[in-house]
Amino acid sequence: MLTKKLSTLHSFLLLASRRAGHLARQQYDVIVVGGGHAGAEAAAAAARMGAETLLVTQKIHTIGVLSCNPSLGGIGKGHLVKEIDALDGLCGRAGDWAGIYFSILNRKKGPAVWGPRAQLDRQRYREFIQAELLGTPRLTVLEGSVEELQVTEPNPEEPGHHRVTGIRLANGSHQISARSVVLTTGTFLSGSLFMGQTTSPGGRIGDAPSSAGLSYTLQERLGLRVGRLRTGTPPRIVKDSVDFSLVEPHLPDKHPTPFSFLNTHVRCKPEEQLLCYLTCTTPGVERVVRESLHLNCHIQQDTKGPRYCPSIESRVLRFPGRAHQVWLEPEGVNSDLLYPQGLSMTMPPDMQLLLIREIPGMQRAEIHTPGYGVQYDFVCPTQLSPALQVKSTQGLFLAGQINGTTGYEEAAAQGLWAGVNAARWALSMPPLALSRTESYIGVLIDDLISRGVTEPYRMFTSRAEFRASLRPDNADLRLTLKGFEEVGCVSSLRYQEAVRVRDSLQEALAALQTLTLSAPNWTKKLPNIRISEVKTTSLTGVDLLQYRDVSFEMLASAFPECLSRFTEFSQRLKIEAVYRFHCELQKKEIERIQKEENMALPQDIDYFSLPVSLSQEVREILDRFRPSTGKRREDHAETNQTIRRIEKRSCVQEMHLYLSEMTDKLPCKGVCIPQNVQNNKLKCLRTCAIFMFYIR
Amino acid sequence: MSICDGVPVGLADAETIFALSSGHGRCGVAVVRVSGPASATALRSMAGLTRSLPPPRTALLRSITEPQSKEVLDRGLVLWFPAPHSFTGEDSVEFHIHGGPAVITAVLQALGSMPGMRPAEAGEFTRRAFQAEKLGLTEVEGLGDLIHAETEAQRRQALRQMSGDLGRLYQDWSHKLKRCLAHVEAFIDFSEDELIEDGVLTQVDKSVCDLQADIERHLKDERRGERLRSGVQVVIAGATNAGKSSLLNTICQRPAAIVSPIAGTTRDVVETALDIGGFPVLLTDTAGLRDSPDLVEREGVRRARERVEQADLTLVVVDCAHLPSDAQEAAAFLLAHLKSILPETAFPPTRCLLVLNKTDLLHGDQRQKLDWELRRVCGLPPVCLISCHTNEGLQDFVTVLHNSVKTLCGDPLSGAPTLTQARHRAHLQQCVTALAQYQQYRDTDLALAAEGVRLALTSLGRITGRVGPEEILDIIFKDFCIGK
Repeated sequence: MLTKKLSTLHSFLLLASRRAGHLARQQYDVIVVGGGHAGAEAAAAAARMGAETLLVTQKIHTIGVLSCNPSLGGIGKGHLVKEIDALDGLCGRAGDWAGIYFSILNRKKGPAVWGPRAQLDRQRYREFIQAELLGTPRLTVLEGSVEELQVTEPNPEEPGHHRVTGIRLANGSHQISARSVVLTTGTFLSGSLFMGQTTSPGGRIGDAPSSAGLSYTLQERLGLRVGRLRTGTPPRIVKDSVDFSLVEPHLPDKHPTPFSFLNTHVRCKPEEQLLCYLTCTTPGVERVVRESLHLNCHIQQDTKGPRYCPSIESRVLRFPGRAHQVWLEPEGVNSDLLYPQGLSMTMPPDMQLLLIREIPGMQRAEIHTPGYGVQYDFVCPTQLSPALQVKSTQGLFLAGQINGTTGYEEAAAQGLWAGVNAARWALSMPPLALSRTESYIGVLIDDLISRGVTEPYRMFTSRAEFRASLRPDNADLRLTLKGFEEVGCVSSLRYQEAVRVRDSLQEALAALQTLTLSAPNWTKKLPNIRISEVKTTSLTGVDLLQYRDVSFEMLASAFPECLSRFTEFSQRLKIEAVYRFHCELQKKEIERIQKEENMALPQDIDYFSLPVSLSQEVREILDRFRPSTGKRREDHAETNQTIRRIEKRSCVQEMHLYLSEMTDKLPCKGVCIPQNVQNNKLKCLRTCAIFMFYIR
Repeated sequence: MSICDGVPVGLADAETIFALSSGHGRCGVAVVRVSGPASATALRSMAGLTRSLPPPRTALLRSITEPQSKEVLDRGLVLWFPAPHSFTGEDSVEFHIHGGPAVITAVLQALGSMPGMRPAEAGEFTRRAFQAEKLGLTEVEGLGDLIHAETEAQRRQALRQMSGDLGRLYQDWSHKLKRCLAHVEAFIDFSEDELIEDGVLTQVDKSVCDLQADIERHLKDERRGERLRSGVQVVIAGATNAGKSSLLNTICQRPAAIVSPIAGTTRDVVETALDIGGFPVLLTDTAGLRDSPDLVEREGVRRARERVEQADLTLVVVDCAHLPSDAQEAAAFLLAHLKSILPETAFPPTRCLLVLNKTDLLHGDQRQKLDWELRRVCGLPPVCLISCHTNEGLQDFVTVLHNSVKTLCGDPLSGAPTLTQARHRAHLQQCVTALAQYQQYRDTDLALAAEGVRLALTSLGRITGRVGPEEILDIIFKDFCIGK
C-alpha cells in the first residue's frame, strides 16, 4: 500500500470532475453525508461491500482533515485503529503513510494494553484518505451541502416508523435518492463556536455551518431526542517562537511499528521521525484562567464537557495548585506549527497569548490560530440499533460525534460499521452486530446504544471486559476472517494474509506443544533460564515461552529445525503463550454472554396493540427501548430509571399476567391451529420470558 | 519463575451449579440439585460410586458422604439425569436428603468444596433450561411466578444480609477493591501522558495485600465452630450455681456441659447447635457472673459478658430460692439482677427471658403465686418457672423459647443463611484466588494483574452487587486529573 503513488495533480483532476452537476446518476445504494473520519470510513466500507456509494461533503479538500490533534491511536484508541484495519478500513494504512513519530504506549504494562500511537503529518494524512476514496471503485464524491433528508412511509415488513429515501441538497432542490443514508455530521449539527464572549454558528473554524434543515428533520420529522455536548481545541503555536532548551524532548520508538496488518514498515524512515516535547503549567496559568473567567462564555455554561480531555480552564479549576502536563506535538514535516496537547481553551485570543506565555519554553511564543470551543447537537444513541441504524427510521444510519463520541478512532470505527450495515440494508442483507466479547468496536457500539452518553464518549481499555482476549496484536484473527466470511467488507488479499497468519500461528503453537522435555533437559538447552519446576515435571515449549525471560527466538535457535520458520511471528507467539490460559478462562464467560446476546427479541412487536393487561407506562418503555436481545443489563441507565420508578415488581407481575392471558388464548392440546398463529403467539411468549430475564 | 503458576481454581470451571431446590426451613425431604459438566463427578464422590453411574432417572438409596473426609452426612436417594434428558438439558444430579438444616448445610458445603462447583444464582436452573430450549409452553408460563418468587426472595435476602455488620464488612471490601481497580486502571489507561505516579501502584499493592489477608482471616473464622453458627445466638447467663448448665443440658437433652453443685463449675463458654422448631439456634452456656480472684474464672466471666452483649436472646437464669418472698420485692430484685447481667443497651429487656430455676425447692402453692404475681409486673421480660431437676414447666418454657426465636427470625427465610453463607464462602474464596493473580502478574503484566483485581471485584460483586466499568471510571476521574 505504501508504494502507491500519490499524485496531487491527479487527485485534483479527479476532484474537479465530481462537482454536483456532473453526477453520473441520481440514484445510489448508499449516501454518506460528511467527509470526516466517520464519513470516510463509512463511504469506503459501503463501497467495499459492493454498494454504489455517494459521499457528500462541503469541501472535498477537507476530507480526512485532522480537526484537532495531529495524532492517531493511543491506549484503547490504538485497539480501535487495529480493528478498523483488520476490517479493511482506511485509518491504519493512512496512519502508516502519514506518521512522523511512532511509539507504542504502555510498553511495560502487558501486550493487552499496548497502545500503538503516531503523530501525523496533517497534509499527508488528508492526501492519503482523499486518494484512497477517490480511487475506490463504486464510490463517487460530491461537493455540496445537504439541506434535508427525504423520508417516507416505512416498509411494513420491517420494524420502524419511517423510511429514508434520499437527500435534498442546498442551493436549489437537487434531490438524490438512495436506499440508505449515513449521517456523519460531526460537530456541525447545530454547531456553535465559542471564543471569549463571541459565539458564531459552525462546526469547525473556517467552514460554513451546516444547514438547519437536517437538524429539523431529525428532531421534528423523525422525533429523535437530541442532547448537547461541547468540546474544544487548543491554539496552534508558531514553532520558531518556542525555546526548545526549556522543554523536555521525547523520542519516538527506534523501530516504528505499523498500525496496519498489511504493512511491514511505515513510510517515514526511523531516523527521520520528529520529536515531541513536554512542558507543564505554572501558577501563572492558573492566574490567567481565573482573571479571564468573566470573559469566557464557554466555561461558564454547563453543557456537558468531557471529564477527560478537559479544557485547561476546567483542569486548573478542578485540580488547582498543580502543574499540568503540556505536550508540544509536531504538525507535519513541512509545518511551521506545534500543537500544544492539553491546552484546549476558549478564552479571548489576547488572554490565550498571556496564558501560554506563562509556560516554560513558551515565554515568547506566538499563536498562529487561537483555540476555541464548540457546542453541538448529538442524537441520543440509545435510539440506535447494534447496526447503528436509527431504530425508528429504516435505512438511516448515524456514526461519529453525532452519536456523542469524541475522537477520530471512535468516529472511524462507527463509520466503518455504519457503512457496512448501510450497504447491507441497501443490498437487502440482514443487519450485523459486533459483540463486545469480540472487539472494542463492539464495546463502543454496545456502550453507546445500551447506556447512552452524558459526556463525549471516549474509548478506554477498562471499558472492555475481555481485555485479555481483545488485544491489538490479534485484531486480524478476531475480525479479518469474520469480515471476509460473514460481513463482506474485507478484500480477498487481506483475507488470504490473515488465513496465512492464523495457520502459521496454529502450526507454531502445535510445534511448541509437541516439544516436551524434562526440566533438567530444558536447562541444558537454555542454560541462562532458571527453571523452578521439580525435576520430574515435563514442560512443553508453550510452557517455557510463558517464562518471563524466554523469547521465541531463544527457542527457535535451540530447535531451529522445527521452529525457525516461524520467527516472523516471534512476538505474537510469545503473547499467545502468555495469554492463552487467561483467554481460555474468559472464553466460557464470553460464550455465556454470546448465548444471551443471541436470544434476539422480535423488533417488530407492537407493544401498544398487544391485547393484554399491560399498563401504558410499561408499554411505553417497551416501545421506546425495544430491547433487541435478552441480555441482562443492570447498568442500563435509561430503562433502569424508568423501571425503578414504576417498581420492578409490578412490571414483572404485569408480564406474568400477560403470559397467562396469552396461554389462556392458546388452544388446548391436540386442537389443530394454523401454524402462523401459533408461531406468532409463541413469539410473544418468548419475548416476555426473555424480557423478564432482562429486567430482573 | 513461571508466570503460569497458581491456576485460579474455581474460576476455571465455574460452570457446574448446585442449590437447594426444595423450600427453605424445616421439611421432611429436601432436594439438592446439581447441574453442569461436573455433576457426574459430584455424584460419584458423594454417593460412593467408584465405577459406574446409576441407571439414568432411577432413584438409588445411598449413603451421602463428604468427598474428602468420607464422613457420612446422610442417607438418601440419588438420581442421575444425563444430558440432554434433564430439566436444564445438562448433566444433572438430584440428592433427596433429610430436611434438617444441618444435613442440608452439610451437603451444600460438601458440594461447594469440590472443584468446578459453585452455588447457583437465583433462577439459574430455569435460565439454563430456557437457554437449552427445554421449557415448554406451560413452563414458560410458570416462569413469571418463579422469577418473581426468586427476585423477591433474593431481594429480601440481600436486604437482610446487607443491613448487618457482615454487609458493612463486605461493602467496605468492595469499596476498597473498587479503588484498587480504579487506580490500576488509571495507571494503565492514563499514566503515559498524565501525572500518575508509580506511587499509586505501591498503594494498590498494599491494599490488595491487606484485603487478601482480611478475607482469608474472615474465611477461616467462618469455618470454625459449629455448622449452624449463623443460627440465632441464644446465651444462658446468670449468677453462679443458678443452674445454667443444667438448663443447657435439659434443652439439648444430653449432658453437653458438666454440671455439679459446686459454684463456678463452668468456666468457659460451651456452645451447642440446636434446632428449635425448625430454627437453627446456637445455644451458649457461660460462666456464672461473679467477682472471682481466680484468673481463669475471671477470663470466663469476661467471655460470658462478651457473649451476652452479642446475643440475639439471653436466658437469664435465677435460683428461685434466692427470691424474696414478697412479689413486689421479688420483682425489684429481678430487675436489679437483670441490670447486673445485661448491658445497658439491652434495656428495656425485649430480647431476654427470665428463667426461674429450681421450682422443685418451692413449697406448695408458692410456685403458682409467684408465677401469677410476676406476670403482672411491668418492665419484666417473660418469666418461666421451671425445674431442671424434675422437668416441671419445661414444656411451657420450650414453647416460650420457640416463640421468641420465631419472633426474632420473623421471616421464613431465616432458615436460609446457612445456604447463603455457603454462597458467600465460595465467592470470597474466588475473590482471594483472584487477588493472588494480581500479585503474580504485578511486575510482569499489569493488564493481567488488573484482570485479577477485576475478577476479585466480580466475585465479591456477586454478594454486594455488580460494579460496572462506568463506576470505575467515575473513581478515576474523581481521583486524578486526566488531561488528555
